[in-house]
This record gives sequence, structure tokens and C-alpha cells, in this order.
Amino acid sequence: MNDTLLKVVGLRKSFPVKASAFSSKTLGLKAVDGVNLELKRGETLGLVGESGCGKTTVGRCLLRLYEPDTGRVYLDPDDQIVSEVFEMDAEREALNGELQELDAQPTKTQADKARIKSLKRDISANRAQADERAKTTDLLSMDRKLLKANRRRVQMVFQDPWASLNPHMVVKDIIGEGPKEYGTHVGQDLDRWVMELLEKVGLPPQAANRYPHEFSGGQRQRIGIARALALTPSLIVCDEPVSALDVSIQAQILNLLISLQDDFNLTFVFIAHDLSVVQYISDRVAVMYLGKVVETAPAQQLYANPRHPYTISLLSAVPVADPDHPNELRPPEGDVPSPVNPPSGCTFHPRCSYKTDVCTQIVPALEKDQDGHVIACHNPPNG
Amino acid sequence: MSKLLEVKGLKTHFHMHGYTVRAVDGVDFDLNSGETLGIVGESGCGKSQTSMSIMRLVPDPPGKIEAGEVLFKGTDLLKLSDVEMRKVRGNNVSMIFQEPMTSLNPVYSVGYQISEVLMLHRDMTKEEAMKESARLLGLVGMSDPEERVNEYPFQLSGGLRQRAMIAIAMACEPDIMIADEPTTALDVTIQAQILKLMSDLKARTGTSIMFITHDLAVIASFADRVMVMYAGVVVEQSSMRDIFKKPLHPYTQGLLGSIPVLGEVKRNTDGSRRLLNAIAGSLPDHRNFPKGCRFAPRCNKVMSKCWEAEPALVHTEEGHQVRCFLYNDDVQETPAYQEAKAAQGLLRRKRRASAAGETR
Repeated sequence: MNDTLLKVVGLRKSFPVKASAFSSKTLGLKAVDGVNLELKRGETLGLVGESGCGKTTVGRCLLRLYEPDTGRVYLDPDDQIVSEVFEMDAEREALNGELQELDAQPTKTQADKARIKSLKRDISANRAQADERAKTTDLLSMDRKLLKANRRRVQMVFQDPWASLNPHMVVKDIIGEGPKEYGTHVGQDLDRWVMELLEKVGLPPQAANRYPHEFSGGQRQRIGIARALALTPSLIVCDEPVSALDVSIQAQILNLLISLQDDFNLTFVFIAHDLSVVQYISDRVAVMYLGKVVETAPAQQLYANPRHPYTISLLSAVPVADPDHPNELRPPEGDVPSPVNPPSGCTFHPRCSYKTDVCTQIVPALEKDQDGHVIACHNPPNG
Repeated sequence: MSKLLEVKGLKTHFHMHGYTVRAVDGVDFDLNSGETLGIVGESGCGKSQTSMSIMRLVPDPPGKIEAGEVLFKGTDLLKLSDVEMRKVRGNNVSMIFQEPMTSLNPVYSVGYQISEVLMLHRDMTKEEAMKESARLLGLVGMSDPEERVNEYPFQLSGGLRQRAMIAIAMACEPDIMIADEPTTALDVTIQAQILKLMSDLKARTGTSIMFITHDLAVIASFADRVMVMYAGVVVEQSSMRDIFKKPLHPYTQGLLGSIPVLGEVKRNTDGSRRLLNAIAGSLPDHRNFPKGCRFAPRCNKVMSKCWEAEPALVHTEEGHQVRCFLYNDDVQETPAYQEAKAAQGLLRRKRRASAAGETR
């Protein structure tokens, strides 16, 4: 087994939005626009960004709670398969480009029409072939049976502990639902397992027979965590698990997640907007802006030496709870542009103080620099 | 520095069906002119209700200001008539709320909502007020203010709406501006823009600010003095520096231990993960506070007397007050305490009487 647990390649997801309140025309809101991620076993990857940057959508796509448009989500990736599929996908992308070009022509000759037809055939053949090759490890092209077997390995902890627990079910049924469905624990064994989980997350055994409304926010989040653990997953996607909680409760939940990670050998994707929290819990952090990852780096390095202009301004906007810290807030100017109609080139250029002409035209690619930061920027400052 | 606002023994209770919630239960503090006072606490600690009581905006019923004085330049705001109070609100004391969407009226343009204040308190005509509104919007950093005055709240982003709120609050250059979690619903970058704007405005006008938040980091970047609240009472009050460098109350210490600080090392020397110093347990039930110190059930330094009586808020040094038996033995003279004291006295008298009876 190699030590990469999850590999996300070219993930895209767009949502249809109405052009205006009275229009029947729909536009695509590109929530996630070509995201690549890689997670090692036992690692915590933090996903940060402002609201609307697509971090939650990425998390949900990993579980197929949203059906992504394109992309691959490999669980236990096989390098051979990944590279083969990557080539096939790239080929299809090229064919697609040609098809769109032909399609856009105002007048089409007979030859063009024939070419379009054959391109379409090639594309669908290529897609079938690629999906067939990828289907053993790619969550997005698996058949139902295989998907179900793999689904238990990826679980989620949701943001709102008030909305994410079924009010009609008692806690033991909420936690036990997964094991029951998969038949991993039955009868008395299931009861024992639920009790063990309750103890692990720091809830009393009496909690088992009570309803969610009888618990406080922090306790509900503990129930949500116990539910996520019930099928002993390898990966847990934590979507803003502490942002709805008070400071003192937040610390309890963060401590709990860290100790569970060691106990259950878990890998986390930790989505949050609070940079201090993300820095605290993560080994690596990916910064997102308008559906794209703009910088990835080990947590300590990212905070000590941010490279991408967006990361720099994001960090300089965070107040620090220390009176000795200068706390001169230097936020980026203006608001996040609309993802329906993102700026050309590098999407950050209208707010960037290091922009050059090239930034307005060409989308920068993610590249690794000498310090191990992966950044997407044409003109990174300080070096 | 002169005292602009003095709050003494403020109590705001909510009388619900069959029980009473003591949201604010005896709060004392001062606000000096030109000062920024940060009020920190978790949800339900009474920080918002304190500010609502100062503005007399507590919904009545079920809420009721039971006791206390709110002296603004010597006059008690709680004794003013509704008409007189209306002259104070927005003119001398104004407020910025947390949710810029719900606190702006969706059917009036932003400019109208600003000029409303000006027409009421400054006797401006509508045209003058609209012109002044545009100037104010420019002052809070909105681009093309002349056009923005005619826009409606839904046309503005969260950050811009909050700027409009600040423009309304600043319109009459009040002496005190109460900001109730003004940046909580905003992204960090927008939060930083708003904080910067508020400190710029403060430098220009010399307004005192009461800044209510749950975020200690925001306090560190913004406040001069800090008041920490827990379960309806002030537990500690001091300069901003002292709260972070020399916190006295176990709750303040716990709060500071609970937040991860940006840039701090998170591994111990042996490579294991460093856990946060979280406070155990959760907030006490509002209907039924513990008999003694309200923090006793969660406190890691709890002593036997903490369960019996509530400590008083006492000065430990210049400008530093704390409500904890670790530093002082003074007891808060609550009615319950006085009752208990009286009962004890009665008991003692009874015992003495019966002892006297026996000897006779």
C-alpha cells in the first residue's frame, strides 16, 4: 500500500444560477474549478478561504454529496492507474476543445459536421474507457456496489450541529445507523459499540437513549463525531466543525478530534474559515480562492512565510490574540468577485498589489517552488 | 479622562412562563470618553443584553430592567421618558448590530435610512440630509457614494451593508457607539476592513466605543480596556494588556487557553501534539445558576467556599478588577446571600435562646 490515501484530480463542479430574477437563462456558477489535492495517511489537510471560495463544495464532492461535473477522486490510488487515466482524460480534454471550436463556428461545412460526429463518438468512447480503467479506485466512476463498500471509509462531520442530527431519532440509532446498514455490528454487539463510541467522544452512557434536542451544541457535535466514527473510516471530512460553537467548547472539540486522530488512525480534511484554528489542527494547508487552490504548504511554513499574494493579504487580515503582536491589519481591497463571472486570467488580479499584465490574461498554473510551497502565481513577491 | 457612561448594578431579567432568566445580573462598569471598551464573553453571558439595556431596547415583556442606573454624563437613561430617550438614541448613543442584513430595512434605500437620523436629530431638510448621507457613505469608504445612496440593502454585499450601518451610527457624531459583534458575520478580510474603518473614524471623531465580541483576537487588535463577562456578571475588568498578559480569573485564563494563536508552536518537544487548555463542561443553565460562584462547576481551582457564596468584584490593583476568591475574600451581597445570612443569624439567635432556656 502506498502512503497516499486520497488523490483528487481536476475536480470541477458548477451550479446553475438564474441570470436574473425574471430570466429563464441560466449561467454556470463555477464553485470548484479544477482542484487537485493529495492526502497522506494520518495527515490533516486544512482547507481555508473566504465564504464562497468553494471549500465546502470540495468537501461535499469528496463524499459525492454533490455530484461533481468532472474530475477524479481516488481513494487508495494506484500510481499506474492514476497516470493512465490522467493521460486519457487529457486526451479527451483536447478532443473536447476541438469539438467546442468546431461547434462555435457560425457556418459548418459537411466535413465539419462529420468531424463533430466522430469527435463526439471518440469522446464518449474515451470516457467509457477511462472510467472503466479508473473504477476500482475512483469514487466518481465506481458502480453502486463498489461505491457502497468504499463509502463507509469516507465520513463527514457537519458544520451545524442543530441541523445535522435527525430530531426523531435517539442518539443510539443515529450513531448505530451506519453499522446496522453495513452489518458490521449487530444486536448486543452494536449496543456495546455505540457505548464505546459515546465514551470515546466524552458523552455519558445515558446519552444513548436521549434525543438530539436534549443536548447542547458542543454535545451535539460530539454525537456527530461519534456517528462519523461508527464505521471506522479512514478519512473524515470536517466541514467547519467548530465554527458554530463557543470558544471554550470549540477548544474541547479540537482536542477531541486530535486525540481521536491518534486513536483511530484517521486522516482529516479540515474545512474552516478561522485561520488560527486551521493552523492549529492541520499538517498541511490549502488556500482556496474562487474555486481554485492558490497555495498549498505545510501549515507552519504557510503561516511563517506565505508566498501567494492572496495568502499574504488573508493572513495580514487576521487579528492575533496577543497585545505584543503589531496587529496592523492590511486586508486586500474590495470584495470577492462573483464566481458566476470571474475575472480573466488570475482570478485574484483585481485585488492584487503585485499584478502584472500577464496576470490579467493567463491563468497561472500551480507550481512547486524551492521551499515546498505549491503556488499559482505569475509574480510571487519576495522571491 | 472623564467618565462618560457609568453603569451601576444593572439587572435585566426575562420573565418567561414559569421561570426567570437572569440575563444581566448586577453589572457595573464605566466608559471614559475617547476610550474603546471591549466586552468579551461566550453566548448567553449577557453581553448583548447589557448593551440593549443601555439603549433601552430590551423587549418588554418578557424582558425587564429590574434595577440599576445607567448614567450618561450624569443623567440616568433608565429614568428618561420614551420621548427623551428617543433624542438620545442615534444622537448621543448609537448602535451597530451584528446582522447587517436584518438590521437594515429592506424597503428603504440606504440613503433614506441614513437621512432619517439626520432629519430627526439635525433638523435637516430631505435634500440636505441626502447630500450629507452621500458624504457619510464616502467617509465610510464606499465608492461612488452619490449613486450608492439610492441603492437598497440587497444590492450591497455584507461588508458594504456593515459600512452603511456604521454610516447611520456615525451620522450625528455620537458620544458613544455600541458595536454588538459588528464583524462576526463577515469574512476575515472584510472584518479587517471594518475594524480599520472603525479605528480611523474613532481617531477622527473621538467617539467612545463599546465593542462587544466573543473573539479575543479582535479585542487584542482594537480595545483599550476589556471586560470579561460570564453568566450575567462581570468576572474581570482591566486594561487590554493585562487581560492577555496577567489574566487573573480562572475563566479568563481558560478562555485564553482555549484559542489557538496564529504562529504558535503546536508540538511539544517530544513531538506529540500540544492540546488546547480547554475549559471543561458548559455554561450553567440560565434558569438556575449555581448558588456560589457561577463559574465554580467548571473551574479548575475551585475551593469549598466557592460553592457557598458569590465573590464580589474587587480591585486588585490600579484598574484591574476581578471576581474570584483566589484574590479576595469579599462576598457579593446578593439577596440570596443576605437571606442565607439572615437565616443563619436567626438560627444562631434561636439556638442561643434555646440554650438560655435550658440553663434557666
